[in-house]
Amino acid sequence: MNPIMKVINKFDNKLIINVLKQGGLVIFPCETVYGVAVDSSNNIAVEKLNTYKKRPFGKPYAIMCANQEMAEKYVELNTTAKNLYNTFLPGPVTVISVGKRKVAKGIESEAGTLGVRIPAYPNLLKLIKEFDRPIVATSANSSYQKRPYKITDILDNVSKKQKELVDLIIDVGELPHNEPSTVIDTTFDEAITLRQGYIRLKDENEVLSSSEENTQNVGKELWQKYENYSGKRSIIFALEGEMGTGKTQFTKGLARAMGVTELVVSPTFSLVEEYKVSNSKFVLEHFDAWRLSNSTEMETLGFLKMVENKNTVMSIEWADRVVDVIRKFRDQAIVVWVKIRYGKNMNQRLISWGNI
Amino acid sequence: MTILSIDTSCDETACAITSDTKILSNIIWSQAKDHAKFGGVMPSLAQRMHEERIDFVTNKALVNSQQPLEKIDAIAVTVGPGLSIALGVGIKKAKELAIKHNKKLIAVNHLEAHVLSPFANSQFSILNSKFPALGLVVSGGNTILVKINEIGEYETLAQTADDALGEALDKAARMLGLGYPGGAILEKFAKLGDPLKYKLPIPMIGQEERKIFSYSGLKTSMMRKIVEIRETNGALSKQNIYDLASSFQDASFTHLFRVCSYSIANCKLKIVNLLVGGGVSANIELRKRLRHLGKQFDINVSFPYSKNMTGDNAAMVGVAAYFKAQRGEFVDPKTIDRIPNLKIGG
Repeated sequence: MNPIMKVINKFDNKLIINVLKQGGLVIFPCETVYGVAVDSSNNIAVEKLNTYKKRPFGKPYAIMCANQEMAEKYVELNTTAKNLYNTFLPGPVTVISVGKRKVAKGIESEAGTLGVRIPAYPNLLKLIKEFDRPIVATSANSSYQKRPYKITDILDNVSKKQKELVDLIIDVGELPHNEPSTVIDTTFDEAITLRQGYIRLKDENEVLSSSEENTQNVGKELWQKYENYSGKRSIIFALEGEMGTGKTQFTKGLARAMGVTELVVSPTFSLVEEYKVSNSKFVLEHFDAWRLSNSTEMETLGFLKMVENKNTVMSIEWADRVVDVIRKFRDQAIVVWVKIRYGKNMNQRLISWGNI
Repeated sequence: MTILSIDTSCDETACAITSDTKILSNIIWSQAKDHAKFGGVMPSLAQRMHEERIDFVTNKALVNSQQPLEKIDAIAVTVGPGLSIALGVGIKKAKELAIKHNKKLIAVNHLEAHVLSPFANSQFSILNSKFPALGLVVSGGNTILVKINEIGEYETLAQTADDALGEALDKAARMLGLGYPGGAILEKFAKLGDPLKYKLPIPMIGQEERKIFSYSGLKTSMMRKIVEIRETNGALSKQNIYDLASSFQDASFTHLFRVCSYSIANCKLKIVNLLVGGGVSANIELRKRLRHLGKQFDINVSFPYSKNMTGDNAAMVGVAAYFKAQRGEFVDPKTIDRIPNLKIGG
């Protein structure tokens, strides 16, 4: 651990601002999860944040502002964005707009967009106001590790090197288990949801993915939404989508978030592939129903036994072909129906989900 | 050494008798057509058919080899990778034979058998084959490049991150309305088309150092292209299908070539041999390209001697078993079990 790292139990703004000004890295609570932040005007501090998050340069962050006035110094707000600010902020929503290139390098996306969040957490708002400029913040866990609701969730899952980068921790105990913020991009013709938390724009749960990596990330996020049920009931992610939409990519992200270290590949040929999670009783059963002639064949592949095992997580590609079998078990298992559709551009996919 | 081998890893009920690396008989009874009738695979049917056919296939292999059972030195069987309930049938039969006739039993990795399949009935003698060599398996279930430090010791150099090559070709055929599995039809149509007509992007180009094969992006490009043509022309013409088949095959093979080429160029030791096995190794265009690869690097490229040896078969299991027997790797019939997700190489 950083020999000069400090842990405090409440917002001591003078101390926090001092650490931020010196390029320090601060772990802090907000209305969603524990976040990690640095000064948004400090290039070196942002590089430090990249190292802590193990993020490649060029993957954008969001900034946290105290109010819309502060936000407008850094981003151009169009009508869509202004409406979202009025409706949802302060609150668990990150609104992406075109940036004004006034933040440190590596915060805005390569396309020049920037996400802004105004947290509904009074102590944090007060801190940012006193700091008089935004902080750049993200969740404090390493990528694909569990959501950080308490400090040990973070420290138990990062390396010694990562810990050494932390200068200050504001530990207020375990946070309520709220969803991470909803991320909405307003730079398209219409508002597009990139990540969905508690707040949603449509009746349906739907996000846009722009790459295979994004689709994997959605797999991770859905796992985190339903992880609570694991061990209590079996969980089925029923995937529906045309050839090449990314059903296997989704499962790769799901597997990684569950802690599967093996390479996850298409089960089209083998029909079902089993992955064990090291140091855990959970098991991922990855089905592909595409080649099955008949839905009753799921039983030949051991589906019944798997559903009965509360530690089973299933991902079923081409689930629409075996929907009758899956439906029979919707009381016994948590069934999450995931639809993946091709979007407008080559790599875009619309991913929606719901329980059946 | 005379070995009776069995493979029931997927759709083929197969039994062979081999003497060292020489094939005395090689019987394959495929279920592909039976499953096609039902519009897909029926695992329960696969198991039942293996059970119904295994005795016949085994007897036929013995009869054709003109070897009485007393002359058989050992029984070999595929334990994985494969469809769990199908593997079980072959293992049960092999176990019974081993116990009843008091024969030694050898458990074989189906992937290793594909890698070593070019040794069968080959002039390519074990004595002059130098190691390390490379092994490439291209089939419906696997796409993997391994370094063979010596027979029995493998190191994975590259493997698929999503679909196997054969699976990707089958899916492309399906997108073109050629049925499933349609890899073989795709090959025929590809010959009639222009491989550069649609310029589908080569997967992972410039990222060969990641050492993965990937066909997911290519599938997406293909799907997009088909939709685009349909939107302009209403439907795919025959020529469209030929050109798309050709373009898809070209992009997928170019990708395979580039990753293999990268791996060879970055092998610290001089490689003299490349062994290629698996169903897709029957593809003439792929063979042409791999021979070309061999020329570039001054590597001898070997394929299975007959088309019967590219798809699933038991003769290749016999060859792999022969090498295992030489190393004294036998298993206890009481503990042998299937390993559906068995891997090769570290």
